[in-house]
Amino acid sequence: MLSPLLSVQAIHTFIGQFHILEGVSVEVPAGSIVALLGRNGAGKTTTLKSILGLTPPRQGKVLFDGQEIQGRRSFEIAALGIGFVPEHRAIFRDLSVEENLKIAERNKGDLERKADFIFGLFPDLKRLIKLPGTNLSGGQQQMLAVARALVPDNKLLLIDEPSEGLAPVIIESMMEAIRQLSADSTVLLVEQNFLVASRLAETYVIIEEGRSVKSGSMKDLVDDKETIYRYLGAA
Amino acid sequence: MPTSSSPRTWLRSQLGLILIVLALAALPFVIGLLNGQSISDVLANAKGNAKFIQGLMIEVFILAIFAISYDLILGITGLLSFGHAMFFAVGSYLTGVALKSFGWSLGQTILAVLAAGVIQALLFGIVLPRVKGITFALVTLGLASVFDILIKTRELGEYTGSDVGLQGIPRPPILDPTDQRLRFYFVALAFTLLVFLLYKRFVDSPTGRVCIAIRENENRARMLGYNTFYFKLAALTLSSLTAAMAGLLNALYKPIVSPEIAGLGFTVDGLLMLLIGGMGTLSGAMVGAGIFRLLDFYFDRWFGEASSFLIGGLYVLLVLFVPYGFVGAWRARALDFRRGRARLLHLFGGRGGD
Repeated sequence: MLSPLLSVQAIHTFIGQFHILEGVSVEVPAGSIVALLGRNGAGKTTTLKSILGLTPPRQGKVLFDGQEIQGRRSFEIAALGIGFVPEHRAIFRDLSVEENLKIAERNKGDLERKADFIFGLFPDLKRLIKLPGTNLSGGQQQMLAVARALVPDNKLLLIDEPSEGLAPVIIESMMEAIRQLSADSTVLLVEQNFLVASRLAETYVIIEEGRSVKSGSMKDLVDDKETIYRYLGAA
Repeated sequence: MPTSSSPRTWLRSQLGLILIVLALAALPFVIGLLNGQSISDVLANAKGNAKFIQGLMIEVFILAIFAISYDLILGITGLLSFGHAMFFAVGSYLTGVALKSFGWSLGQTILAVLAAGVIQALLFGIVLPRVKGITFALVTLGLASVFDILIKTRELGEYTGSDVGLQGIPRPPILDPTDQRLRFYFVALAFTLLVFLLYKRFVDSPTGRVCIAIRENENRARMLGYNTFYFKLAALTLSSLTAAMAGLLNALYKPIVSPEIAGLGFTVDGLLMLLIGGMGTLSGAMVGAGIFRLLDFYFDRWFGEASSFLIGGLYVLLVLFVPYGFVGAWRARALDFRRGRARLLHLFGGRGGD
């Protein structure tokens, strides 16, 4: 077993007066893809936001690369080497494709250094480099959101619903991209589409009503129809 | 990746700006010639329509600098401030008090105004990390209201002129708006151009791009590792410095520094200029300031007391039918045109790109 790059230990998060996470634990070994599964509203996105300090946990610990990061400010957490690909194709629509990528540089020249890798994964982006983000299609915007997280040297990528609302052919290329980028990076993936998650991730954690209720190897889960039906509503 | 542009390409891209500046530089002389004055009359600041129009345009330039400074924090960075008039008023009042009561030179006054510009930005900056959105707007309104009350108090009347306004400011002979109107015109024009170019440079810089990102989604910008506070403070400081310098020009030009410039009404005027020209476009702020001042002047001349009613109606129509302002609408149309042209070329010639 690889040592965990990220260890979320029984975190409790509140949004206003609502107790959203009531004890979520996730271990993400270095170099792996871990899928965070669960129904709508289970607390998957809040878990990612809690790791990043956007909705800071009130209890529990978040350890990244051996250091406690809960309670730190979100930009400090991001600067440690955590990239975030939010849901809903969260790009900066008024900036061009190039500016969207450039703005993610943590060190001067990051983009030039990674250009071949990024445009190898997403050739469309190279063609559209000068176009404003708002002019891109949904799939292209999602590619740009993922590409942006690849510009700096992130040790961990948190990817939220990458296949949401995309055409099957785009989903395939997105999956291929995530598979390729996981060779250099560790990924914590939130994905509603179980088929996508099962083809990408090696391990999984299921969240139900704000609690992590089950975890293990994805291979085992694929054969465990009862668990899939019970927690994910799919057979 | 980024491509370098040749001087020729740059010139072509700036052709509109160059033509506008040349037209504005020629304006006093053209007006003079149309009204039977010679160029030497205009150069000698002789009385006439040319001198009058110069005065009107100086007011436009001052408002344009004020409006673009508001555009930087509201249109570019997305900070809604209801206290922006204070930035301008501090510059105006400080100039008046420094020249009249303290007897400072113009150079000392400029330095004092710049220092005040930084201080007031820091004052607004104190609340930046704590409040956002409408709460920030109300806090800035509160801070500006304190300044508004201060300049109207009788205790400070000796310096500020209280409700009446600050009068009798001694003008430096080198920039006397009566005897040296043409020089003042060109100084105001040059300063407006300088501010515009500086702002364009700022917005196109990596810092400016982060400001746009903050406007679109501050959390997203933080997730990229940016401490957004410093970027908002940078925009606020540049905006405050510029507005204070516009205030300085206002105090030098106007015979009286009116307390109205410190009120919420003047901030709303700035907002109106942005809505007319196009928020977040920079050049729209300048166009908006021009339309705002010229409409106000000519409607008042043509329609007298009914002008306020007519202008109000016109602004409602503008907001309804040109919601992105003139420059915003122009850019959207130009984009549509380029897309349409590319589609046609693609259809008939098999080229035209994306």
